[in-house]
Amino acid sequence: MSTPARILVVDDELGIREGCRRVLAEEGYAIELAEDGMVGLAKVQEKPYDLILVDLMMPGIGGLDLIQRIHELDPEIILVVITGYAAIETAVEATKRGAYEYLPKPFTPEALSVLVKRGIEKRDLRLEARRLYQEREQRLLELAGEKSRLRSIIGCMADGVLVTNLEHQLVLWNASAVRMLELIGTDEPGKAIGHYLRDPALVDSLERIMNAKDEGFSMITQEIRTADPSSVLMAQMAPVRDEQGRVLGAVAVLRDITKLKEIDKVKSQFVSMVAHELRAPLAAIEGWLEVVLSGEAGGSEEQNRAWLLRAKERANSLLALVQDLLEINKIEAGKVAQKMESVQLTDVLAKIIEFFRPEAGRHRVSLRMKPSVAPPAVQADVRDMEKLFTNLISNAIKYNVENGSVTVETSQDAHFVGVHIRDTGVGVSSADLPRIFDDFFRAETKKRDKISGTGLGLTIAKKIVDSHLGRIEVESRVGQGSTFSVYLPYNK
Amino acid sequence: MKAGGKILLVDDDPDFLEMHKAVLRNHGYEVLTAMSGREGLERVRAEMPDLIILDLMMEKHDAGFSFSKTLKTDPLFKRIPILMVTSVAEATGYRFSLEEDGYWMKTDDFLDKPVLPAVLLDRVGRLLEKKDENP
Repeated sequence: MSTPARILVVDDELGIREGCRRVLAEEGYAIELAEDGMVGLAKVQEKPYDLILVDLMMPGIGGLDLIQRIHELDPEIILVVITGYAAIETAVEATKRGAYEYLPKPFTPEALSVLVKRGIEKRDLRLEARRLYQEREQRLLELAGEKSRLRSIIGCMADGVLVTNLEHQLVLWNASAVRMLELIGTDEPGKAIGHYLRDPALVDSLERIMNAKDEGFSMITQEIRTADPSSVLMAQMAPVRDEQGRVLGAVAVLRDITKLKEIDKVKSQFVSMVAHELRAPLAAIEGWLEVVLSGEAGGSEEQNRAWLLRAKERANSLLALVQDLLEINKIEAGKVAQKMESVQLTDVLAKIIEFFRPEAGRHRVSLRMKPSVAPPAVQADVRDMEKLFTNLISNAIKYNVENGSVTVETSQDAHFVGVHIRDTGVGVSSADLPRIFDDFFRAETKKRDKISGTGLGLTIAKKIVDSHLGRIEVESRVGQGSTFSVYLPYNK
Repeated sequence: MKAGGKILLVDDDPDFLEMHKAVLRNHGYEVLTAMSGREGLERVRAEMPDLIILDLMMEKHDAGFSFSKTLKTDPLFKRIPILMVTSVAEATGYRFSLEEDGYWMKTDDFLDKPVLPAVLLDRVGRLLEKKDENP
């Protein structure tokens, strides 16, 4: 022992005190003496002792009282009672009040030595036990803290979490799991997983997954459909193991992949639409080439040449379509491809109007810009702006009527610059209006068949406006014309 | 080859109308054209063609189906053979076959676009012959 055990001798007989001191000091203990109960108690209150020898018969505070009060101060202190034969019964009483042992007077130095040694050993055991107990309490406290931390973390997760034990009972779950699977009765934990689910198909697949006999450390991934047919969950399951690798239960992590599935579907619809749109002109080109090459139509050289020109026209439209598709791709790539700079829209519009003047003339449509105060510049990609207004003005000319007009006008409010392109053309029916910005949508008009176009012009326009954080609106009436308005934000 | 017969082409693509018309005319058929299902029905009622060549995908995606269904359920017109010309099969991933879908598609034969002139003439000839055998 690094520090000697501290022993206090409380006895009114100087002989006993000194005798004890001499014997125990020789054994290497740190000895202190007190001549009565009051002094002894004061010393115990002042600092800790390992063992105290107490005479029962003392003036002032009696031994019994002293034992009780010391015991209250520190229950682990070893109390040894020194007593005459006459007071054996009192000594028994003392042990009842917490004394460890008694030593009848007169005693030999050996008896004292042996008893103190045993008492000190007992004291060490008691202290060790107390340390272990406190350690255990601390551990339990930490464990409880860990568990609640884990619960908090799992509770916050957007993914659903379910844990079952070996008996397939639900032991842990989070709010996301409750929401995704519409779990019921989770206020009573510890029942079989089927107890919490409404949907029998789901019970089946979850049970099958959770019960899967899995010798390795593999993971199962499976799609699950819930009662709500529009939602799809992805479940990832794995056995839960202890440090030795024994299976304790199973964990399932659920992710809502409904949105991903939708995107997937939209994407494949777009691909199939694109394939169809590419195939139509390609089939026409091949058809014309076949007609000319096979000679089955029996055309003259001049006639054959006219048919080949038809094929060439379709080839041009095919090229335009591919270019529009690339354009869409570029816009959707966003910032990577866009070069934002300060753009004065009236300059862009003036240039486009000049470019379209000959075509407007061919269609007998008057094209003009209504003069107004120049609006503030906007942050935009110049090429995107040119493409946007080229598409809108070109439509306004193409879908117009003879002797009609196209008027371009700008406006400005607190946050947006507006560009309004008004035509006196065929207009769009209210049934078609919500769909005109859809991919490949072309409004049905008598005139349409003579109008070339990819069906992507307004799609591109909308995507450009969206990518510039603006909005595009259309007002139209069949036979009276349409007004397309683009609003782009500007910095004050 | 024995020429003859009045053929109605229904297609919303003017190129296909014109190229099929050129081939068929060159082989002695009389050719009528229509660019929509509605126009096609009008022409059937007015002209009573011997054969109809129909594009499946017109103004609406099921226009071809409803066109052929209308004719095939009408006792006056149900004996007019319909040759469906389509680009549906590959482009949309839908699979069509006469064995499986012939019943509800109510057509007599169908071909994928573009149709080789020789194939077109062969099918048209056979459909018209079959029609003559079972008056």
